[in-house]
Amino acid sequence: MAAPAVALERKRKAPGMKPGRFRDVLECYLFLVPYLLLFSVFVIGPVTYGFYISLHDYHVLSTHRPFVGFANYAGALHDDLFLKSLINTAYFAVMVVPLGNLISLLLALGICKEGRLTTFFRSAFYLPVVISVAVVAVLWQWLYSTQWGLINYYLDAGAEALRQLPLLGAHIPAYTPIPWLSSPRFAMASIALLSMWWGAGGNMIVYLAGLQAIPETYYEAATLDGANSWQRFWSVTWPQLRPTLLFCLVLSVIGAFQVFGQVMVLTRGGPDFSTYTMVLYLYLTGFSLYKMGYACAVAYLLFLVVLVFTLLQFRLLSFKEVD
Amino acid sequence: MPSRLLRLSVLLVLLAAALLPGCGSSSGPKSADAPLRFWNGFTGPDGKTMERMVRNFERETGIRVDMQIIPWATYYDKVVLTLAFSDAPDVFICHANQMPMFAKYGKLHSLNALMSGPQGLPDSDFMELPWKAVHYGGQQLGLPLDAHPLGLYYNRTMFEKAGIVDGHGQAKPPTTWDEFLADARKLTLRDTGGKVTQWGFTFTNLRSNWYTFLRQFGGNVLSADQKRCELTSPQSLAASERMHDLIDKYRVSPKPEGFDAWEGFRKGQVAMIMEGIYMLSGLEEQKGLRYGGAPVPLFGTQRAAWGGSHVLVMPVNEPPERVDKVWRFMKYLSDHSLEWARGGQTPIRKSLIASPVFRTMPIQRAFATQVPYLSYEPLTVVGNEIAPFFDAAVQSMLIDVRTVPQAMKRANRQIQTVLNRS
Amino acid sequence: MAVAARIRTRKRPLGAMVAREWPNLLAKAVLFVVALVMLAPLLWMISTSLKPESEIFLNVPRWIPWPVTFHNYQELANRAGEAPVFRWLFNSVFVATSHTMLVLFVDSLAAYAFARLTFPGREPLFMLVVATMIIPGQVTLIPVFLIIQKLHWFNTYQALIVPGAAGGFGVFLLRQFLLGIPRDLEEAAQLDGCGRWTIYWRVILPLARPALATLAIFSFLGSWNDFMWPLIITNEIAMRTLPIGITIFQGRYTTEYGVMMAAATVATLPVILAFLLFQKQIIKGIALSGLKA
Repeated sequence: MAAPAVALERKRKAPGMKPGRFRDVLECYLFLVPYLLLFSVFVIGPVTYGFYISLHDYHVLSTHRPFVGFANYAGALHDDLFLKSLINTAYFAVMVVPLGNLISLLLALGICKEGRLTTFFRSAFYLPVVISVAVVAVLWQWLYSTQWGLINYYLDAGAEALRQLPLLGAHIPAYTPIPWLSSPRFAMASIALLSMWWGAGGNMIVYLAGLQAIPETYYEAATLDGANSWQRFWSVTWPQLRPTLLFCLVLSVIGAFQVFGQVMVLTRGGPDFSTYTMVLYLYLTGFSLYKMGYACAVAYLLFLVVLVFTLLQFRLLSFKEVD
Repeated sequence: MPSRLLRLSVLLVLLAAALLPGCGSSSGPKSADAPLRFWNGFTGPDGKTMERMVRNFERETGIRVDMQIIPWATYYDKVVLTLAFSDAPDVFICHANQMPMFAKYGKLHSLNALMSGPQGLPDSDFMELPWKAVHYGGQQLGLPLDAHPLGLYYNRTMFEKAGIVDGHGQAKPPTTWDEFLADARKLTLRDTGGKVTQWGFTFTNLRSNWYTFLRQFGGNVLSADQKRCELTSPQSLAASERMHDLIDKYRVSPKPEGFDAWEGFRKGQVAMIMEGIYMLSGLEEQKGLRYGGAPVPLFGTQRAAWGGSHVLVMPVNEPPERVDKVWRFMKYLSDHSLEWARGGQTPIRKSLIASPVFRTMPIQRAFATQVPYLSYEPLTVVGNEIAPFFDAAVQSMLIDVRTVPQAMKRANRQIQTVLNRS
Repeated sequence: MAVAARIRTRKRPLGAMVAREWPNLLAKAVLFVVALVMLAPLLWMISTSLKPESEIFLNVPRWIPWPVTFHNYQELANRAGEAPVFRWLFNSVFVATSHTMLVLFVDSLAAYAFARLTFPGREPLFMLVVATMIIPGQVTLIPVFLIIQKLHWFNTYQALIVPGAAGGFGVFLLRQFLLGIPRDLEEAAQLDGCGRWTIYWRVILPLARPALATLAIFSFLGSWNDFMWPLIITNEIAMRTLPIGITIFQGRYTTEYGVMMAAATVATLPVILAFLLFQKQIIKGIALSGLKA
């Protein structure tokens, strides 16, 4: 009920507004037309159209596209591969989200005090973020190479150095190169590792901003109370940083559930489906098996999963804030 | 006020005008004189061979061809989506085992009339299996260009060093399981610490290698009516066990886990591999490598070798005035498939196989002897959907993630689910 | 405490300084190692791209390419037929630039309207825009693909440029920023008889420059690095963008790492340069958007 009054109130303030004129409103909308055009054709339209398609058996080559209700959703939920991809994606998120955020936070803490090298450190940590996922993937394919890769080389060299140690060295077995991307045991962890390298800097910057926004006086007060740096962290930094933490965690989870480029370029879901992720599943059913209806249903299920996780996090983390 | 409105509107119109016209797309309407659009996935050296043949065709006929190479990894995705939505190419390459889906949805142009027409080709000149693989419901839906069977590549130097030679002192490739195993054992070398310095045999492409074993033991992925998956049959298990034995029991082959098998063969760390004929050009480039090619040995109870065919096809709604041109192009490539063979393919026209020119290609000839018992991957509409399952089964059993029966049982169930669904 | 420390260090210069500063020095050393580890892959990429094949596969990796060879880059240029890297470079530059300009134009107009104008339907519309921001892009992937087909935009530049500009992020970011700008200047302009269009163009846009810069950088990077959409929406080799293009060098079994790393370097250097140039804005921008959202 109060809304029109507020609108009127604002109307008086708005520049160039002569109330009651149709042309005036039209002019306001003209500013919005380009965006709304794009928004309806490429967001609102597709969201509804996608749902419509998800209720149909839509093979791209077929002209017959019968309505099937929620059969596509049921089909996905009964499909081994879909469930496998859900588990794989969750596994990826479990590796990447906590560890990745911990790394980002530590990096941010490391450089939050301005120093001579801060800019260099910040740039070095952030640089991978600006690189395309395709470049990241082919680069790590090279680093992960079992025979010629840098990573296996240095692990081998490290193991060899340890073997030279007196007493202990004799118990260390010779290093066998790890098949990073071609063993189902390692593949997803390898994807997670490169993803963390790629993304750590992004969250670091946000944490950094969060840290720098904490007023210096809080720390001074804590110091006066005799708190050491460890106590200062838990009594000042941690609670003050919670909104930032929530923000980063939520975005990390959303990002983790959308992992695609890395697995598409490096493994295409293999070996033995160990890196089959939800978005890859969506892509392959839609664009390689040409089942668009089914793929749309998968997309909505993905949305649902992401939504649930997001709400869950909000619930968990903001609860803590109350106590 | 009006002028302001006007300015904004003009800007909007300009924006729309800048974005709407089809800039960048070369897919114009197919007029009678527009160049033929030809798609394939030959990204490697075979692409250069094809390019050369296409240019020759242009020179000889005056018909222009616009060739588009799309990597195989996403090739069919692009072809299908283009067939479904926008204007498809005039002619494209399709593997024989990819044809069932196009056939099911009626997307390919029948070539019956063209084959029997004045510019036609004699049916009898084509090898039987590749010929049969392009026929659906009495219609010929494509012109097979080649066959590319799997074969055995071996390192001559290693064979000679190990004393595996014939009467003339030439390296002698194995033809039976016993010979193969004995040779592989002799060719697997270990240093004093037991570390392997040279492998007798290595799996490169798991699917083609496994499929060859499977078919040689009389096994199959699908039953004849394509309603049942048969991966748990005794033949299938025996074939997979034998493959597995090479790694775990006889220790003449490494686990296919991170070992760069193809590079290993090229760089002289591996004595034998089974690969498609199309990999030949990759070996020709390798300096210092003396290699030979032979038919796949008989591992099981019957002869079989994985293989495929590149088939020239044209979309069903090709404008009638362009059909004859497309046919000329197809026929030209088929007539000149010896040149195509030189880049690492086997021709399937009997007249070309018998020609003296083909005798100058020893490895192609050796591989070509397998065409009569070539084993195509299952010719089924759900081929792309079921392949990942048996791929995963083969990989997981070879690296001991699952036992052979476990892996096959699992894949059998997954594939059966797909079959029941469709 | 700081004062006390300073007095103490003055008394016993070196020893005490080391004793007091060692955690700090240790932290610096650790950070330095981490920075090296973070940069190593990129350095290795560039190093590999400057080596001949014989130097690439060595049992002991060599970091400094010597002698430096541009053979891999030449090879890239030679393969213009099957892998037209420079065309991809052009595509990437053209697409990312056009996309950025489109986003800036469209989003700033909309943000101005949402932040400063009053009209019926404003609040629900804005809520709708914000609400759709939580929908992952994958949800609209297939319908947008089908719509593109219906528009006959498949495999065109506009298909690469336009759909991505419909997201709500830019509008949201700019509106937040505009809400924080005092109205005095606008009111002064209004008194001078300026209309909305003039105010938008002469007053708002100049004031919003920092936010526009942030949005421009994000849009550019987003478009430059995008992988999934160009993969789906282009089919001809000449229409690919760099990220999709470079995957062509992954062979069936053999990957020509030298050439591939050269292509990866070509795809990466422009963004690295852009990053180093606009570092401050980028980092400020992320902080801005991160904390506001």
